[in-house]
Amino acid sequence: MARFLLRRLGLVLPALWLVSVLIFALAEIVPGDVARTILGPYATPEQAAALRHQLGADRPVPVRYAAWLGSFVIGRWGDSMVLHRPVRPFVLARLQNSLALALIALICVVPISLGLGIVAGLNEDRPVDTAISLIGLSLTAIPEFVSGVIVLVVFGVRLGWFPIIAQPPPGAGPLERIHDLLLPSIPLMLVLFGYIARMARAGMVEVMASGYIRTAVLKGLPLRYVILRHALRNALLPTITVIGSQVGWLVGGLVVVETLFTYPGLGKLIYDSAVGHDVTVLEATALLVAAIFMLSNLAADLLVALLNPRVRYSD
Amino acid sequence: MNDSDLQHELGQHLREELLAGRLSRRELFRRATVLGLSAGTIAGLLAGTGGGPARAQAPPSKRGGTLRVALVPPTAAVDPVTMYDAGAIAMVQQVAEYLIWAENDLSLRPVLAQRWEPDASGKTWMFTLREGVRFQSGQAVTADDVVATFDRLTDPQTKSAARSNFKGILSKGNIEKAGPLKIVFHLDRPFVDFPYLVSSTNYNAVVLPASYAGDFEQHPVGTGPFTLAAYAPKETASFKRNPDYRQPGLPYLDGVEFRFFAETQPQVLALEAGAVDLMVATPFQGSQALFADPNVTILLTRSSKHRAVHMRADAAPFTDKRIRQAVALCLDRGKIVEGLFQGRADVGNDEMFAPLFPGAPAIPQRTQNYDRARQLLREAGAGTELKITLTYEVYQEVPQYAVYLQEMLRPAGISVTLDQMTQGAYYGSGGTQPWLQVPMGITDWASRTVPSQFIGPAYTCDGVWNSAHWCDPEFDGLAKQYDATLDTGSRRAIARKMALLQQDATPAIIAYWIRAPRAVRKRVRGVDASGSDFLDLTRASLA
Repeated sequence: MARFLLRRLGLVLPALWLVSVLIFALAEIVPGDVARTILGPYATPEQAAALRHQLGADRPVPVRYAAWLGSFVIGRWGDSMVLHRPVRPFVLARLQNSLALALIALICVVPISLGLGIVAGLNEDRPVDTAISLIGLSLTAIPEFVSGVIVLVVFGVRLGWFPIIAQPPPGAGPLERIHDLLLPSIPLMLVLFGYIARMARAGMVEVMASGYIRTAVLKGLPLRYVILRHALRNALLPTITVIGSQVGWLVGGLVVVETLFTYPGLGKLIYDSAVGHDVTVLEATALLVAAIFMLSNLAADLLVALLNPRVRYSD
Repeated sequence: MNDSDLQHELGQHLREELLAGRLSRRELFRRATVLGLSAGTIAGLLAGTGGGPARAQAPPSKRGGTLRVALVPPTAAVDPVTMYDAGAIAMVQQVAEYLIWAENDLSLRPVLAQRWEPDASGKTWMFTLREGVRFQSGQAVTADDVVATFDRLTDPQTKSAARSNFKGILSKGNIEKAGPLKIVFHLDRPFVDFPYLVSSTNYNAVVLPASYAGDFEQHPVGTGPFTLAAYAPKETASFKRNPDYRQPGLPYLDGVEFRFFAETQPQVLALEAGAVDLMVATPFQGSQALFADPNVTILLTRSSKHRAVHMRADAAPFTDKRIRQAVALCLDRGKIVEGLFQGRADVGNDEMFAPLFPGAPAIPQRTQNYDRARQLLREAGAGTELKITLTYEVYQEVPQYAVYLQEMLRPAGISVTLDQMTQGAYYGSGGTQPWLQVPMGITDWASRTVPSQFIGPAYTCDGVWNSAHWCDPEFDGLAKQYDATLDTGSRRAIARKMALLQQDATPAIIAYWIRAPRAVRKRVRGVDASGSDFLDLTRASLA
């Protein structure tokens, strides 16, 4: 177990380094440059070139990368060239926002989709299964910007139950924060519901058809006991992996939802800093998201290992 | 406040033009404000010729309250000297002020300048500042601050885009302090529209203290109606009433809250839901829902905002002007204006004198004429089918416009391949700037207040943004003359020649001039639309 954990953690660092290289390279390919971001399209090429020089953005890529890496590894995240602000507090505030939204979406969607997925799996090919599967599929197929606009118009504009702007005013209490985040978490829940419910259903169907469940039923155990004690543990393993793999997206990939609900999260920040060539911000945010992605996958694997002794001992 | 003899003479001439029917009352008012004639003189000139232009402002029914404004976030750290996007400009405009504010009808309202006057050649301009104005720091505004402000913008080392606007007109060191409150601008060449260049039109030109160090976010300072109380980039900015504002009793509001939105749609929803009161820029595309909302008022103003469809005069197949003319003759401009803006735009005529500009010459309107287009193509030896590629950016209605062009050119035997780019890719940087390089492209131009601001950079031989690569020394000569001619009648004659020349050469198609809508909740009072998405909230109030 400890070896498994150590080996996986040992992989995180090289992977993050690779991500940082890729991000740096990709930022070079995106059209435009940081001087244009700051000065806009009306500045002359000479003015842009002068600023580029002043910012050191005209040095060769490896030199710039080495300079950034040298600072970053000793904990200096640097300043945003575009916003003239220290990167760390800015990015950490965004991270907090993103985590809050991801958490609320997960807390709401996981029990519902697991429950319904299990019900569907236990009722394979019956009307209730068909209904759940069909609804799950249709909801997943709706892009977030469509469902987002619909919930905004219905619950925000028409009914007025939720604020249009998801970011609560400064000094808002935890209850108000949660209330304000419910609306943007709906489109996320709709997307995730389909995934999670389908995985839970498939796991349940597979497990219920397996020999040991048949044995358990035949030896006269109550069905409830069979499901809770024997089936669930095994049926949920793939689902946990799926949930783990979605956390990275929930924290760092919500460009559309954050834009639509005017929520200052990491997704929009990554997008803006990539387009604006604000490399220090881009690297910090992208690495944070990558780390969260890796750690949440690791956590999911650990959970699977805890539930499934075969994984634990096979390593 | 006495006008100079020259101003008096020019004023009398304007009155003669008005009485002779060659000038409208509105145009007289605009020209008179540019020449710096005092309000009393202008009233005298208009006396006995009909009612004066309505300038009266109804006092607000209620004072106080906080106005919530939706707008795009400043892209970079806010600095008045280098700012270029609507978000940063609107932020600075609450805190700092210009010498002059250009109204929507292009008349000029004195702000920090009390009066101004040219010499007979239009090459030297004397500005007198208002007395007793103080920056929010408490320091008095003097001629030194104004000299420093314009030296800063014209400095060869500056990164301000304003320098391009002053290029060839005003150079660093030629701004002279002529007294504690008097400044003389010695221009490089006569420029009759100079007051516009030191007005809000040249949006970087807010008057800042001589000691300004480029740290506006840390030390926001100006003479404006509000002070910047808090700013969270990409999220919010809040402003408080400036209790020492130079105009007693103003502003009416206690404060202003900016809420930054990356896209139009969330702004529209926020305005519909009443979460904000005003949307600074309301592009027609994507805001249609607001146009039918009973709780929302749409303010609308003419502007010189347009799209230039350039055709490179030095690149095949556009080297022959007949090809360019033929392309322009394929357009049904009325249909384009109706289709893209439901009529909220003025039809363009492939020349730069927008209907908004004072003294815009009336030359024959170019209309759709396929027979003539085909004939021109034949004469130019283009054969029966001409293949061209149209490059454009994804921005507001531009992609739809490109499709209209493709459809309208087809009947003339011109097949258009559409080459769509993101805005960033279209403008590019360094050696890759497609908008200046492709044979045919659609470029978005923000509103300007004088035609020279389009003509200089885009349609003169050494223009920095001459994407059509069109060069006609005769046109360049006329452009210089136009800038140097004080007399309104002669000026209109030059404008007419220029318009005819440009329309004939057709370096670019200007099919429409966009009117600028601004959506506000019904309770908002005292706010105007703005062709440049500027925001003056000095007289704003909430009912």
